Amino acid sequence: MARKKNDNWVELKDQPVPEGSHLLEVDDLKMYFHTQDGVVKAVDGVSYTLDRGETLGVVGESGSGKSVTSLTIMGLIDMPPGKIEGGDVRYRGKSLLAMSEREMEHVRGNDIAMIFQDPMTSLNPVYTIGRQLGEGLRLHRGYSKEQARERSIELLKMVGIPNAEQRVKDYPHEFSGGMRQRVMIAMALACDPDILIADEPTTALDVTIQAQIIELMKSMQEKNGNAIIMITHDLGVVADVADKIMVMYAGSPVEFGTAEEIFYSASHPYTWGLIRSIPKQVEDKKESLTPIKGNPPSLVNAPKGCSFAPRCPYAKDICHQKKPEPTYVGEGHYTKCHFATEPGFIEKNAPATSRTKSAKGGE
Amino acid sequence: MTETKRTGEPLLHVEHLTKEFPVEAGVFASRMNKKRVHAVEDVSFDIYPGETFGLVGESGCGKSTTGRTIMRLTNPTAGKVIFDGKDVAKMNKRELKEMRRNMQFIFQDPYASLNPRMTIGEIVSEPLQIHGVMKDQKERIEYVRSLLDIVGLNPEHINRYPHEFSGGQRQRVGIARAFALKPKLIICDEPVSALDVSIQAQVLNLLSDLQKEYGTAYLFIAHDLSVVQHISDRVAVMYLGHMMEDSDWKTLYAEPHHPYTQALLSAVPIPDPDVQHARKRIILSGDVPSPIDPPAGCPFHERCPIAKEQCSKGEMPELREVKPGHFCACHFAAPNPIKGSSVEL
Repeated sequence: MARKKNDNWVELKDQPVPEGSHLLEVDDLKMYFHTQDGVVKAVDGVSYTLDRGETLGVVGESGSGKSVTSLTIMGLIDMPPGKIEGGDVRYRGKSLLAMSEREMEHVRGNDIAMIFQDPMTSLNPVYTIGRQLGEGLRLHRGYSKEQARERSIELLKMVGIPNAEQRVKDYPHEFSGGMRQRVMIAMALACDPDILIADEPTTALDVTIQAQIIELMKSMQEKNGNAIIMITHDLGVVADVADKIMVMYAGSPVEFGTAEEIFYSASHPYTWGLIRSIPKQVEDKKESLTPIKGNPPSLVNAPKGCSFAPRCPYAKDICHQKKPEPTYVGEGHYTKCHFATEPGFIEKNAPATSRTKSAKGGE
Repeated sequence: MTETKRTGEPLLHVEHLTKEFPVEAGVFASRMNKKRVHAVEDVSFDIYPGETFGLVGESGCGKSTTGRTIMRLTNPTAGKVIFDGKDVAKMNKRELKEMRRNMQFIFQDPYASLNPRMTIGEIVSEPLQIHGVMKDQKERIEYVRSLLDIVGLNPEHINRYPHEFSGGQRQRVGIARAFALKPKLIICDEPVSALDVSIQAQVLNLLSDLQKEYGTAYLFIAHDLSVVQHISDRVAVMYLGHMMEDSDWKTLYAEPHHPYTQALLSAVPIPDPDVQHARKRIILSGDVPSPIDPPAGCPFHERCPIAKEQCSKGEMPELREVKPGHFCACHFAAPNPIKGSSVEL
């Protein structure tokens, strides 16, 4: 069982963010897995920054490395087979990768907390909800059993679980999926973390419950001012919550920008492909979807050039030969495409958005 | 497109279909324990040749059970399923086999629905063997190769095993198998929900292309409202085993008459920040009630923002025709019944 709080530990949360840096800085992070089949480049050069009160949406298909990135930040990847091949993660100016396991224990749950996709398996079935909710508080805050129980009830009320005094004694199987995800959120927020990482928090839930959970996360963020990293494959969810969006493909970001930039002036063919692939809600006539051809590449034998080149309808020779570097198409908005700066390329090929449509209608 | 198709005899006519499961399994369970899971309650609808009928609802609403009962993978507790003029519920084994030549199934999980020990060629030709079509082996192999080609797989891969394929490719194998006998109706149970968006679009396009080519009707079961809207001619919404609303897709999405449909539509996040931030959402409180002990009256009344006293009493409101071809089971059926918010398209 967990150790009591170390009194000599300086709360990272209370320390100011050093001048000129951000709350969380991920800098060219590389996490490779060494397997029998070869080296899997699960995360291959991810960079972003995050400040309090912000929400970063991480979008990508399965296997694009979006979950591994956040697990690496949390120090939850087994090494070996995993190995950090470069880069850094700094939280309030302090490198998380350089921390000892003991130090990371203070960070996890206390400074950076995580919600997982599957609420059915991420709670321990043999402990009561109250005990699991209070575990972090007893560990990080040194609460007594009684204090932890009282706070657990408060937390359950906060996330909208009725009859919290009774429910705190219940076991996870007595809760529905949506309620378990509420418990997970309560647990993640128990120690008032700076950063909440939500890994597909609503994928296993029905839409009406998804709407409840997203509203809950938004209102909690308004109250606590924490930052959120929302990992999802659902562009609808990111459109709803994200301030910034990172689009990932085959282990690295292909485009990064504000939600506005990604949805209304996307500049990478993969982002276009994603936007074109989702069925639109239309009023009168249905257009057939434009899927992305082919399948995502294997991360063991990644293509030599641009990882998206084999599926990209605009790929030319250079795309198969040379990896594109980030090209800035706006302040803080970069795209990894050789043709992003070619005149007319974006204008000619980007999908129409509701903004371009209404602009055309006004002409 | 929608209106013109619905003429003549329906291909599938489902009338008052009900399916209950005993809560406990075992020989004496039904005598000892009177509790039942009311999975499907009094569901009626028609599917016409060549159309796509979408069935949506949250998990546990009985949409998959409806599909399975129609094909008689489970026996209905009550009700009629008339397929091609014959009652499926009354068929004997031989008639069932014959019926299944014309009614096939595409499953949700492309990993679990293909036998890992069979090559994809064997998987796709199995329905042909079972029904004794194309006895000549050479002809059969040629046909399977052409099927693989049609669904976008390399015919050269006919001797490969399922594990050599990705999820989207496996789903294509499942589709080739379902189309092998050129059935009149295919029940697609969440065929794209296990796939990534870019692959999902490929499979949806494939399904529409095959429908255009062969004139197959689909019963398309899914929880994703935008996918269902995209593919369906007609859409029905289920909740707790009951049919709540049934209409052509255009009306259902533009002018839902049932508060549940309206809430469901408003809960789907739209991938367009301008639109998403501008619209007002209806957030339903609570969870779907247990189908073991469903509430009296309308099953939705506990979560319904416009429920009145009469909703919690008596029987479930009848599925009545509120407009020609538009059915809704609500006492207060009206266009966008929950006021103060609208479902923006």
